[in-house]
Amino acid sequence: MRAPTPDSFTSRLRSPAVAARVGLWLGICFGTCFLTGLVSHYAQLPSHPIPFPTSPSWGYRVTQGLHVVTGVASIPLLLVKLWSVLPNLFQALPSLRDPRGLVLTILERGSIAVLVASSVFQLATGVANTAQWYPWTAFSFRTTHYALAWVAIGALLVHVAVKLPVIRDVLTSDIDATTHDRPTATVAGALSRRALVRTTFAAAGVAVLATAGSTVPWLRRVSVLAVRTGEGPGGVPINKSAKAARVEEAATSPDWRLEVVVAGEVARSLSYDDLRALPQHTVDLPIACVEGWSAQGTWSGVRLVDLLTDATDADVRVTSLQQSGPYRSTSLPANFARDPRTLLALDLAGEPLSLDHGYPCRLIAPDRPGVLQTKWVTRLEVSA
Amino acid sequence: MRTRAALGALGGVLALYGAWLVLSRQDPGQWLEIALWLGAGVLAHDAVISGIVIGLGLLGTRVLPDPWRAPAAVALVVWGGLSIASIPVLTGLGVRPDNPTLLDRPYVATWWTISAIVVLTVVVAGLVRSRREHADDPRTEG
Repeated sequence: MRAPTPDSFTSRLRSPAVAARVGLWLGICFGTCFLTGLVSHYAQLPSHPIPFPTSPSWGYRVTQGLHVVTGVASIPLLLVKLWSVLPNLFQALPSLRDPRGLVLTILERGSIAVLVASSVFQLATGVANTAQWYPWTAFSFRTTHYALAWVAIGALLVHVAVKLPVIRDVLTSDIDATTHDRPTATVAGALSRRALVRTTFAAAGVAVLATAGSTVPWLRRVSVLAVRTGEGPGGVPINKSAKAARVEEAATSPDWRLEVVVAGEVARSLSYDDLRALPQHTVDLPIACVEGWSAQGTWSGVRLVDLLTDATDADVRVTSLQQSGPYRSTSLPANFARDPRTLLALDLAGEPLSLDHGYPCRLIAPDRPGVLQTKWVTRLEVSA
Repeated sequence: MRTRAALGALGGVLALYGAWLVLSRQDPGQWLEIALWLGAGVLAHDAVISGIVIGLGLLGTRVLPDPWRAPAAVALVVWGGLSIASIPVLTGLGVRPDNPTLLDRPYVATWWTISAIVVLTVVVAGLVRSRREHADDPRTEG
């Protein structure tokens, strides 16, 4: 059996006309994923050279929801895009007598290999992360997904630069034009080109509808394959349980205290009842997780500014009862700490916080990644 | 040409920055695993998924009567895309006994239901299209 060549593929659907139309939307989805991903990583920095805004409170909910939604939509788009250009995989290299052509071809195909590998990697690890499934053992999801996003978007730009004349030409011509087709791509497929492109967009739409309910409440009943129903104590799901964080004992101990530390000195030490005795405020704020799910909650508790007596223009370090983990202690930038909506919440939906939601108290601030809304808070530290 | 050169150069710089991030922030053991995953992703597509789709295409052209091909192709694209996007929830490997709010739907049963609906839709569409083609055929009377 001989290895296939591009000429072995005879369907006229495998064409630049289809590839460019699907690729355009794939590029738009990748671009959205990239930009919203940058927003998310910036939001998670311990301090922000340019302050991250606290309003609108649902800003991060939208950007991170878009990140996951466009990522899911990219899966059918990428599969059909790759299907439409598969014959090129079997293209022979130019001969050694054309060294310049050979080098250029190797570079171009190398950039495609990088693009395909990083794209598949990003989509596969991204959807695995939404389900909190980590089948890899050594690399860090967060660091690697971030680094390879730059690789994927860079390789995508190189690919667009190389193909730009063809892309421009096929996008401005009729979809059935044959100018750029391979000579053997003449056999009618099961669908017309237009129908294949529409089917691909429909497939992307179906994948989004089936999963987006984790972040779009009115889609919950439609999103039968979403990672969450949206149910949970107080109508808010849980990312990390008290058991997983190993705080059950410390969080329910009568010895629990909230310490407010200013300039290295313990300024206040408050019991649960002390916190309850302070003026209580209620806010409606979302929890918006990096995994793309989100839920609105009605939180009540003490305003953070009220606890930070002599509050200065400084960041606040918020420390949890957790003994380990990268989010045991987080930095709350000054603009978040001073926002009147930022609470140390004691209640959710009119009930005391459940242990899994961060009892005795948790941080809740507007427009902030869920992973930084520290639970089981025991210490607030103003560095000033 | 200048636009293309600028775009290509920008892309090269961004990709190299990403590669530098991998090399500078992780250790060689992690590089190796990342490389394995990158390679496995390409193989999963270029060898496994493409192979299956080519096989299904050949089977379709040999087995399916003409009116059935379009519904089958549409079904394959929509169902295939959805199924691949759902692999993480279908494996159920992210389920944690201490967190009942995560992966709290009957995914596998739902997937079978969706698959059955897709097959039924193809059968109905195929039958309807066969009948219509038969009726439109000038050789048949009536």
